[in-house]
Amino acid sequence: MSQPIIQGSSIINIFDGFRADLDDYSDRRERLIKASRDVTNLSKKIIFLLHRIMTEDAEDTDRALSLRAASAGREKLAEVTAIYAEIKHELQGDRFWRYHRCISPSIQEFIEALSFMHYLEHGTLVTFEDVQHILSDQHGVPYFILPLDDYLLGLSDLTGELMRFAITGISRRGGRSKASDVCAFVRRCKADLERLTPYVRELSRKQYVTAQSLEKIEDAAYAIVVRGSEYDLPPERLDDIVALSVSSFGGRDRRHKRANMDRNDEDDER
Amino acid sequence: MDAEDLNHINQLLDHDVELREKIKDQVTELDKKARTMVGLLNKIHSTPSNLIPALLDSVRPTLDSCREATAGLAALVPPSQFWRWKDQWANALRTVIFAASLVEYLASGKLISLAQVSDILGIKEEWKDRLAISAEDYLHGLISLVNELSRLAVNAVTLGNFEEPIRISLFVKDLFAGFSMLNLKNDTLRRRYDSLKYDIKKIEEVVYDVSLRKLAAPPVNDTAPTTS
Repeated sequence: MSQPIIQGSSIINIFDGFRADLDDYSDRRERLIKASRDVTNLSKKIIFLLHRIMTEDAEDTDRALSLRAASAGREKLAEVTAIYAEIKHELQGDRFWRYHRCISPSIQEFIEALSFMHYLEHGTLVTFEDVQHILSDQHGVPYFILPLDDYLLGLSDLTGELMRFAITGISRRGGRSKASDVCAFVRRCKADLERLTPYVRELSRKQYVTAQSLEKIEDAAYAIVVRGSEYDLPPERLDDIVALSVSSFGGRDRRHKRANMDRNDEDDER
Repeated sequence: MDAEDLNHINQLLDHDVELREKIKDQVTELDKKARTMVGLLNKIHSTPSNLIPALLDSVRPTLDSCREATAGLAALVPPSQFWRWKDQWANALRTVIFAASLVEYLASGKLISLAQVSDILGIKEEWKDRLAISAEDYLHGLISLVNELSRLAVNAVTLGNFEEPIRISLFVKDLFAGFSMLNLKNDTLRRRYDSLKYDIKKIEEVVYDVSLRKLAAPPVNDTAPTTS
């Protein structure tokens, strides 16, 4: 045999090497879990921020709100990609898959935020290529190769946010047509993901949640149609009536409060 | 998602499923060999020491043939994806490592090194981002070795070999000292390491029994049992 055979005392030397090995692994793992948690937190804040902007009582049109949300979101997303740029060197080569489980939840949360922002801006689903592009440096070199599973699972979480978005906005001007857009979109998402469910572990559980979200939007849309039918009015007129009664109900006061709350939240984030 | 993207994703996922199946086939092969060896090695508990070399010779061809499975795996795993797939073969590989370490111990009384195991299994250095033996898998194999040796200590005595438990005791203590140097996390390796003390206790009891009855000459140095 070409290799030396271990003798009693040299066992210690061998295990010294293993210790360095295992310590290196667990230290790196800790670092990545920490960074991953930061990404998750930031992503959650982005989602809240987007919801907040979309429900602002501004005079802006919906389109203007969407664009404002997207640009605010994009700014925050840059903080997330900066974290990925920082940990990139820890994930080179075969290391990515070794530590994948530590960072996978944060990737999914990030994709949820990103895809929500993308939907507000474009009304479409963000593509795999787009996400990979954002997870790359300015020369187009990816921080890591985005796993398909994480992409799909992140998208699956988007449907929950869209449900919230549709339902909170339903009493706003144009909220009902928006809700029906969202409803159709979520329905398509669910259908697309359904086909991929056998391939991705965890996706079937998430599909169940998506189904529930979809049902909530459908129920809300149903209620609006049923109640709307009692008045023989065009949808714009209904919007006016709703808006009028909301504003006459101390709307001004509430608007003021919300503005204050927003400012406080912003402070927290800093 | 537009239809083209969806199809593309579908294709990629299909490809992964196919790869998983192919890897599984190789792992099944490796697993069969591992079980064959464990089956053969089980006879050490009833084989007198003079017949052990012949028994080991019957195991070696299977051990050597594991190269086919490792080469098959290395050819399948895409570059840099070692850690993505390794869970699939970890158990089979650990059993093979255990068998190799047991063969080495019975042949030479020594601990097989990780490099030696890689050598026997034909695992090449240039495969390292596709197929390698991780420290963890090697250590798992060694813990299985200790588990087995604690049984052997008992059964050797039954077969009238009173020196073997003492050799085993010295060997296992060295190994345990090595394990004690590791900062283990709360994982399976840690739990299995924690169970080593029961094996050591069992071995010490056997040593105690045979030395008390003067069935074996006391060990030459004082790393021997403290129970006496």
